Amino acid sequence: MLIKVAAGLALTAVVTLTALAFQGLIGLSNEGPDWTLLSDPYFHQILQFTFKQALLSALISVVLAWPVARALFYLPNLPGRRSFLGLCLLCFVMPTLVLITGLVALLGRSGLATPLLDAITGERWNLYGLNGILLAHVLLNMPFAVRVLYQQLQAIPDSSWKLAAQLKFTLAQRLRLIEFPALQHAALMLCGFIFILCFNSFAIVLTLGGGPRSTTLEVAIYQALKYDFNIPEALTLAWAQLLIAGGLYLLISRLGTTAWLSVDTDTRAYTPSAKGSGKRLLQLTYFAAWLALLLPILALLPGLLEDELKRFELSELLYPTLISIGLGVTAALGGLTLAYLTLKPVRDAVISGQRHRQLLFEWLAVHNLVAPAMVVSVGLFVFLLPLMDLDRWGILWVAVLNTAVVLPFAIQKLKPRLLQFDSQYHLLARSLKLNQWQRLQIEWPFMRSVLAPTFALVLVLAMGDVAIFSIFGTQDWTTLPWLIYSYAGTYRIAEASLASLLLLLLCALILWGIEQLQRPHKLSDKKPPTKGTHHA
Amino acid sequence: MLKIDSLTLERDNQLLAYNFEIKEGQILAIQGRSGVGKTSLFNAIAGFLKPRSGDILWRGESLLKLAVEQRPVSLLFQDINLFEHLSVKENLCLGFSGDTPYEQLLEAAAQLDVDQQLNKRPGELSGGQRQRIALIRTLLRPEPLVLLDEPFAELDPHTRELATAWVRNTAKASGKTILMVTHQTEDVDRMADSSIELKQAVSQTE
Repeated sequence: MLIKVAAGLALTAVVTLTALAFQGLIGLSNEGPDWTLLSDPYFHQILQFTFKQALLSALISVVLAWPVARALFYLPNLPGRRSFLGLCLLCFVMPTLVLITGLVALLGRSGLATPLLDAITGERWNLYGLNGILLAHVLLNMPFAVRVLYQQLQAIPDSSWKLAAQLKFTLAQRLRLIEFPALQHAALMLCGFIFILCFNSFAIVLTLGGGPRSTTLEVAIYQALKYDFNIPEALTLAWAQLLIAGGLYLLISRLGTTAWLSVDTDTRAYTPSAKGSGKRLLQLTYFAAWLALLLPILALLPGLLEDELKRFELSELLYPTLISIGLGVTAALGGLTLAYLTLKPVRDAVISGQRHRQLLFEWLAVHNLVAPAMVVSVGLFVFLLPLMDLDRWGILWVAVLNTAVVLPFAIQKLKPRLLQFDSQYHLLARSLKLNQWQRLQIEWPFMRSVLAPTFALVLVLAMGDVAIFSIFGTQDWTTLPWLIYSYAGTYRIAEASLASLLLLLLCALILWGIEQLQRPHKLSDKKPPTKGTHHA
Repeated sequence: MLKIDSLTLERDNQLLAYNFEIKEGQILAIQGRSGVGKTSLFNAIAGFLKPRSGDILWRGESLLKLAVEQRPVSLLFQDINLFEHLSVKENLCLGFSGDTPYEQLLEAAAQLDVDQQLNKRPGELSGGQRQRIALIRTLLRPEPLVLLDEPFAELDPHTRELATAWVRNTAKASGKTILMVTHQTEDVDRMADSSIELKQAVSQTE
């Protein structure tokens, strides 16, 4: 009973947060949106650029990921293969500001590799604008696509490869008849998902956009609200962002989901092998991918040797680091607790076979996936502005909103395991008349293998937040990513590099924990043997 | 007394009908071909399946208005009886609302030759060992009405003899009423005070 009340309260809190944000967006408590902006060429230009950069980022990421995934699949003995998959995970979830600093150090105006690019292109290379945005988006999202496509290839049954070998398929036949059917759905999903991520991208466009010609909706919202103090314009842009990004998300989510954090299975009875020049090409692709992912990170290292750092007080980093960790842990713990509680009515509905009820509660629990963090932040900011001193209480809202943002991720990870528990043990638990406390004691060890990695994942996501902080954050509570942004914005690349490396190290440590915890547990995942088809 | 009073259950568009009674402290064997509704009957008595009509009376009181947790029933499922992520010992101690009878559980484990398995996980046990562990817990729980769905199916002849004797002795000593689904006539001969054979489904529903 107690848990049902808590679940109800949790669901109400999540929905109320969005409702308040919407009240702010509608403008009931303040000035309303300025709809004339929709016919302004400025708006059209922003919209066009937002679509263009998102579409190109998605296509390039998936196209480049495909050969890398093939290399991983066809050459299981590649050196450092497991580390590469770990690096892919790190690159996808690492705070964007780390990558941005790395890119600036590598390819910025005085970047390490900029003279080389100048020589190759024959003109002055410019990182800022579409170039930099695409480069950063691809480096962040391609690793994610590699993991998904690689897992899809892994899922092709051995029997298909054996048959293909028996029938002496050519490379073209193998691509057309085996790989393409296995990858097409995932590739489409990936394109859609990466498109949405890039459509909602904030920090990269803010830092590497380089001017009004390369601005996206999200950055325009921020500028309207924080620089121009033009609330009607911010609200109009936020509505446009919500309708487009939300609509696209709903469209994509109808296609299904992609698994990318599951354990990498290395056990295959039969592996089709690559030979000759094909093999060498795949090897080359693999090493090129290593280089592409590592270079922006390695480019941070020379910054540590700069003279400016001799005068730099390390204590400057301490406070923002502690704030980032504190905010991350708060959001992660809050997100996990809310996820568990909001899933309770979903589980009850599944058990009682109420499909519509299940979908309704599921949607209520994850509904804020549809609304980008920036949109909810703006709505809530406008709603709260006349009600409280946001300079003083803003940090509290950073924690609350980050909790809400990581909630869908936590739900996505916990749901299958909790439903598995119910499907295996619900009848047994009820038959044993376990009370809620006893049930929790049994669920805990069953969930532990999922809880820890989920905690780590949402912790890293929350620690990397820039969008919410940009709206609600204050100088007194500067987080590590925002500090990096401030350094990079004032061309203090050495300091930015140091802070980025620290943040990266923290994230890498947490993700290393994920990989360790995700190794299959010997017995805990095993389903009990059943007695065949014996039914009374 | 347990009275199954003109009970009808619906399953896969078929109506299943039951009508029998058993005195308290007795052991009733239930037989019948696969699909005839033996497990469905157990699910109804335990509260997992809502009957279409009729009643289930225990000591003159209807069980139908009671939730699963309120019914005086201990049920051995046909397949999943153990939590795979808990140790055998932890599994054995579940389902006791008051004090757990450790002594009795350990004694039973020794009698059924599974006392060496207590610190393992269920996945490390053979089918027969798992079944004996589940059987011990089901029988020793404080519920007066015990439902056993094919309790000896995984056991070899020697262990089967051991287990049937233990179940009968334990049930008689504690005055428990047992309903047991079995396909083996020898189980009926060894254990049951009486037996019934369920017939095919009575009619198709619309």
